Formats: sequence, C-alpha cells, structure tokens
Amino acid sequence: MTESITMKDKIMASLKSFGLPRLIITGFLLLLLIMAPFVGADLPTQISNIINRFSWNGVLVLAMVPMVHSGCGLNFGLPLGIISGLLGATLSIEFGFTGAFSFLMAIVIATPFALVLGALYGWLLNKIKGGEMMIATYVGFSSVSLMCMMWLLLPYHSPNMVWGFSGKGLRTTISLEGYYNQALAGIGQINIGNVSIPTGTLLFFALLAFGIWAFLHTKTGTAMTAVGSNPVFARAAGINVDRIRMLSVIMSTWLAAIGILVYEQGFGFIQLYMAPFYMALPAVSAILIGGASVNKASIMNVIVGTILFQGIVTMTPTVMNNMIHMDMSEVIRIIASMGMILFALTRKTEASR
Amino acid sequence: MRAGSNKYTTSEKKNVDYGMILQQASVPLMFIIICAVCIPIAGLSPSYLANEIVTRMGRNSFLILSLLIPIMAGMGLNFGMTLGAMAGEIGLILVSDWQIVGIPGMVLAAIISIPISILLGIFCGKILNKAKGREMITSYIMSFFINGIYQLVVLYLMGFIIPIKHSSIKLPRGYGIRNTVSLLRMRQHLDNLIAINVNGIKIPVMTFIIVGILCVFIIWFRKTKLGQDMRAVGQDMEVARDAGIDVERTRIISIVMSTVLAGIGMIIYLQNMGNIATYSSHSQIGMFCIAALLVGGASVDRASIGNVFLGVILFHTMFIVAPRAGAYITGDSMIGEYFRVFVSYAVITLALIMYETKKRREKSVSGQQLRAEQDRDEAKASGKGGNV
Amino acid sequence: MRSRRVLFRAGALLIVLLIAALMFVIGRGHTVYFDNKTAEYNGQTYEAFHKVVVTVDGEQVAKLGKRDRGMADTMGQKFEMTLEITDEKGAEPHSHKVSMTLPYGMDGIIVNLPELMAGLPADAYLSEFVIAPVEEEETEEETATDEFGIGGDI
Repeated sequence: MTESITMKDKIMASLKSFGLPRLIITGFLLLLLIMAPFVGADLPTQISNIINRFSWNGVLVLAMVPMVHSGCGLNFGLPLGIISGLLGATLSIEFGFTGAFSFLMAIVIATPFALVLGALYGWLLNKIKGGEMMIATYVGFSSVSLMCMMWLLLPYHSPNMVWGFSGKGLRTTISLEGYYNQALAGIGQINIGNVSIPTGTLLFFALLAFGIWAFLHTKTGTAMTAVGSNPVFARAAGINVDRIRMLSVIMSTWLAAIGILVYEQGFGFIQLYMAPFYMALPAVSAILIGGASVNKASIMNVIVGTILFQGIVTMTPTVMNNMIHMDMSEVIRIIASMGMILFALTRKTEASR
Repeated sequence: MRAGSNKYTTSEKKNVDYGMILQQASVPLMFIIICAVCIPIAGLSPSYLANEIVTRMGRNSFLILSLLIPIMAGMGLNFGMTLGAMAGEIGLILVSDWQIVGIPGMVLAAIISIPISILLGIFCGKILNKAKGREMITSYIMSFFINGIYQLVVLYLMGFIIPIKHSSIKLPRGYGIRNTVSLLRMRQHLDNLIAINVNGIKIPVMTFIIVGILCVFIIWFRKTKLGQDMRAVGQDMEVARDAGIDVERTRIISIVMSTVLAGIGMIIYLQNMGNIATYSSHSQIGMFCIAALLVGGASVDRASIGNVFLGVILFHTMFIVAPRAGAYITGDSMIGEYFRVFVSYAVITLALIMYETKKRREKSVSGQQLRAEQDRDEAKASGKGGNV
Repeated sequence: MRSRRVLFRAGALLIVLLIAALMFVIGRGHTVYFDNKTAEYNGQTYEAFHKVVVTVDGEQVAKLGKRDRGMADTMGQKFEMTLEITDEKGAEPHSHKVSMTLPYGMDGIIVNLPELMAGLPADAYLSEFVIAPVEEEETEEETATDEFGIGGDI
C-alpha cells in the first residue's frame, strides 16, 4: 500500500517535471496516431512523412543545443545561421557546381560565412548578457531583411537562380533539381511499401548529433556546460566565459547553416527573402517540446522534440480534415508551439547573472 | 548603504549626461539624415508628403501612446500590444456584422473590445510576472500565441458559435471571417467629423483631439498614486516592494491599460484605413509602433509623449519616401520596400542593444560600488545588494 | 467605503452598458433604395412619376426617371428625405418632405415612391432588399494593406 503511494508520488513528481504543456502535446500526438487508422489516414505514409520531416529539420533543432548549454538561451537568432547557409547554397550553384557535389561545396562555402557572422553575433551577445533572446530575435530579423536587399543587388548570374525577364536578382524559390536535391536522402534510401526512409540524411544527422554529444564531453564541452549552469563558478574556476560563449554561438550558427542546407536537400528548393524570417520559432518550440528548458538541452531533447513537433505538423492536417472536415492544423500548430515557448519562458531559471 | 549608492548614481548621472543625450539623439538624428537624403530623391510634392504625414500621425499616434505605460512600469516595449489590436478587430468585426455604422459603430466596437482587452491584459500580465527580466521576449511570443487563439476564434468559431449574419463578412463555407472586412460605412468618419483644410492638407481635428485627450490623461496619470507606484516599480522592484507597493498587481494594471488603449487605438487606425485585413492587420502593428517610438528617441526604459510624435513624423516620412527613393537609385522598387523593413528592424535591434549595454554598465558600476563598500565595512554589507 | 466603491463601479458599468445600448439604436446603418416604379396594391395601380429628385440631409442622392432606382446610406431609425416630384413632362415640380421610421431588422430597404406618396401603409411601400446569393469560389482575394505585405507564417 505504502509502496503504491510512493509510486504515485513518483509519477506525480515526474509528471510535474515533464510539464503540463508537454504532456498535452504528447497526448495529442498519441491521440492523432490512434485516430489516424479510424479516419482513413494511411498510417505508414504518415510515419514515413514524420521520418522524412524529422530528417529535414533535425539539424536546425540541433543548432539550439550549444547556445542553450553555454547559457545564451534559446537561439532566436537562428536566421543568421540560415543566411550563411543560403549564401553557401546560392554561391555553390553560382560557381557552377552540380549534383551531390554542390551540397558539399555549399557546406564548404557556407562555413566561413557562418564562422564570421557567428563570431560577430557571439561578440554582440557577450556585450548584452542577460538580454540575449530578445536581441537574438531582432538580430535575426535585421539580417533577414538586410539580405532581402542583398539577394536583389548581389551580382548573381546563374540563369537557374535569377529572374528570367530582368536577368538579375534572385528568385524567391530556386529549384534544386540537378543540384543537390535529395543529395543525402538518396544515399541508401530504404523503401518498404509506402514507407521510405532517408537513410543518408538520418546518418548525417546522427553524425552531427554524435559530434555535438562527444564535444560536450570534452574539456571545452564541460566548460561550456559549466558556463551555462553557473557563470560565476565557471569564472572562478578559471574558465574564459566570454570565449566559451562565443564558441557556442559560432557552433550554433554553423549548425544552423548546415541545418538549412539539409532542409533544402530534402525539400528540393532554396527559399530566399522573407522565408527564413520565422524559421527560429519552430526549431525553438521543437526542442522545448522535447524536454529542454531555457538553460538545459540534450541531444535526446532534440530527437524527441523534432519527432513530436513534426508529428503534429504532419498528422494534424490529415487527421483533422478526415475527422471534422475542418483544417485547423495551422491554428493548432501555432497554439501548441507558442504555448510551449511561453511555458518555457515562465519557468524559473537562474537567469540573473 | 542604499542612500550612499543613490548619491553615487546621481553624481555619476551628471557626468554621463552629455553622452546620454547624444546617445538618445543618435537615432532621431540618423533618421533626419535618411529623410533629408531621401525626400529630394523621391521627388514627391510637399503637399502630398505633408498630407500623408498628417494622416499617419492621426492614424498611429494613439496606438504608439499605448506603449508608454508599460515602459513607465519598467516592463520594456510591450510587444503584447498586438493583443489589444486583436480585441479591437474583434469588436469591429462584430459591429460591422450588426451594421452599426459611423461614430456609434466605433464607440460600440471600443466598448466590446475593452472587456476582451482587459482579460487578455490580465492574462498577459500574469504570464509576464512569471517571466521577470525577460518581459519583452515573453510578450513577443505572447503576441504569437494569442494570434493563434484569435485565428481559432475568428476563423472557426465566428459563424459557428458566435453568430455572423452577413455573407459579405462570412466565408462562403459558412463559418469564419473573410480576409478583408470592409469598414466602408465607418471609413474616416472620425477623421471627417471635424476636418479642416489648410493649403490642401486635410487635418483630422477630431482624431487629434482624442489623441490630445490621451496625452493629457497620461500626463495626469503619471502624477496619480498609481502612476507614481508604477514608476517606483519600474525603477526598482525590490525597493517598491519594501515600500509596500503590490508590485505584481501594479505591473498587471500597466499591461491591462496598455492593452485597452491599444484596442481603442486599433479601432482609430482601422477607421482611417477603411478595411480590416482580418488575419494580418495586427501582425505587424506592434513592430511598427515600437519602431516609430524608438525612432523618436525613446529607449526601452524611457519614453515621453514627445518621442511619440517625433517618432511618427520621422518614421513615417522614411516609410513614405523610401520605396520611391530606392526605386530611383537602384531601378528596383522592391529595394526601397526591403530597405524600410530593414530600417525598422535595425532601429529596434539598435535600441535593444543600447539598452542592454547601458543596463550592464550600470550593473557593473553598482557592483564596483558595492565591492568598495564591502571592503570598507564588511559587517554592514547585506546580501541584498548582491543581486543588483 | 468599500460598498461605495462597488456602487461606483456598478454605476460606471451601467453607464457603459447604456452607452452601448444607445449606440445600437442610433448607430444602426441602413441602405435605403428608392424605386420610382409603377406598382400595384390591392388591385389598384400607382403610376410612376415622370421625374423624382431625392434629397437626403441637404445632399442630392438620386435623380430618378420612370423605373429608376436610387439609393442612400443612412444611420439610425428615423429617415428624412425631400422629394421633388415632376408628375408629367413639362409640369411644375412640387416638393415634399417625407419622414419615416425604418424597421430595425432590415439592412437594405426598398421604398416604392408612388405608393409612399399615395399614403399607403408601410407594408405596401416598404420591402426588404435581399442580395441574391452568389455562388463563389473559395479563392480569396489578396488584401491590400497600408504597409508592406510580409505577413508572418507563424
């Protein structure tokens, strides 16, 4: 009897730490999965969709991890990294690389941009410790709107990318057909009936995730965690806090650049101009749904969160449509993801430095 | 100890004053230069430009003024003013379905919006109380969250649970509101109530009178007990709490007031526009109002009525001339459009950075002060100062 | 002290509600259509006038020949207009001031002028204007807004 009570307490305690919004979202996804066969949605197709969308978005969500670890908060400035990735993508095509090789070159070209922009961004965030998230948001917005002008003004010439009639200015969407469309997904793709698994993309994600995991266990990595959990202690232990924070920001920015390239190879298009504007928000809410908080995040949070988030994104439209003939998926997605971010922001953390 | 640190900061303030003034004036100065360069290039006639600016002043001032009260209470730029805008829109949608037109329609819409604004404001305030120190990002995310709820109500519940009669407002599928709701029979009724024409420039006197009343109200409010409390809370929450002020309640009231004012402001804004873009009118409004306020020389913790009007004039002048000037310089009209978007965001970014660096500098100054005092008198140093 | 405060608040609420109710009454908008058409009522025919000029609030809103229709937007239940009627071609026009109470429930109201001038009851000259339901596609027009059209996705 007493044992059952302690069990109950334990469950209650773990539920409390799990958080109500997260519980609702997980329950909602489970409900969707159970409902799916009854309303005539094809479950294997759905699962295949979730896996595919997971593979597209995984790296973007992973880009949250270093900054959260070093105490810079959620990386609302993700668009900055995305822009480096877009520069890499467009320049790789402009220089005439084709096929899967253009993906590699896009990464290579994007890297210096990501490093430089990340360093500037990290320097800025070191100046304004404590107000990172709001400023990150607006740094992202400013950079996206600045690049809107640049996409029009930069001297791109590749006929596959510029507007046909004027011969200059990049198009809003650029097809990757003939370039790196499915560059990773195509490697060792497994098809079983309706289910197709993009093995290459998943492996690529696994590789990066393992890299981050391994990094967090090196000396620098543990220093990063120390800076995030207790900067005063870290400084006392002789860690150069600013340098570690800068490193984490650079890593996040670089991962975002790679992340958008992975996303594009799955999606099949490069989206420019205002497209990166709100890309931080889904990634932020995904990692939070996965169990992260403003100053704690693990690789597991990334994986679970991306699956849950993408699960809701893919399942709601079909299930809802079949069930009540109302496509409320958009609204549900907004309420769920924003509710999750709000919840995380109201949790108590040692934000005061 | 507290008195000592106060003395220190006041003497410090005198030294920094010039720098402060320069820093505060830097954004407006930059905008004056941008406008001065762009106006001749754009080649717009002075009367057209003046007309546009006067119209936009009437249309936006009320909304921007709604931002002042949370700044006073130290809660930063209230990105949650969008909540009030949504409440105002709901009021207008219902009123236009009931076919209540003209000024009475606006008054009724305002009366409907107020309880919605109050509820949203209380909710927002409570959440912000749980997220002290990061009010801005929270209120920003809050605006997205409530936008989701707004869409749920307007796109699915209206016509389904909330009766909507007219097919000119309702989507053909039987529920939900159309992308555009026409306010033709309310359009500029307030502006035209008393409108005078000066050299071809239409001045919406009645709108300005209402804006003026709000200004007077804000000036008066600052002097009331509640206004003083808000300023105390804005200065230092702990000190205010020690002085017996209910900090949480005061903060909630400031957000509620801002939300209610934003709702009324949105109604004034939309009566001038003459139609509601049901799903997008409110989405950018917070950003524009905040950008305009900052352009007027306000900062995250300091804003005056003067900042509002200077900001409206400068920001909107830039807004009007930038596309034309951009088109003239680069031959592409989109450049100017993107330029003004960029400038709006850059101004906000800059203001936020300036605010945060200032806050950090003050923190380190008071930290040094504290350390000095601790050295002097270790026994008296209480743990309280540690979290300054 | 406390009860006075409650009383004060209740009073304020009541005033606001009264204002709201007042707005419902004085702010109700209607569109009034004037028909200058030959009409039949109880077996009697009422001939259309040669020409009618309709003036509302000192503003000329319609000049109607036979079988013409004009319209005016109004606010509130009380509606006043001045009709300048020419019975036949060449005849001297005569002016009439007409005021009527509009039914609250109708958005669009058709007033048949010949029947109105003949002094028939309201149910004779008043009828509701119903917009024929048009089959529409689900496609929605893009909304033109004041500022740039970069509405967010989320």
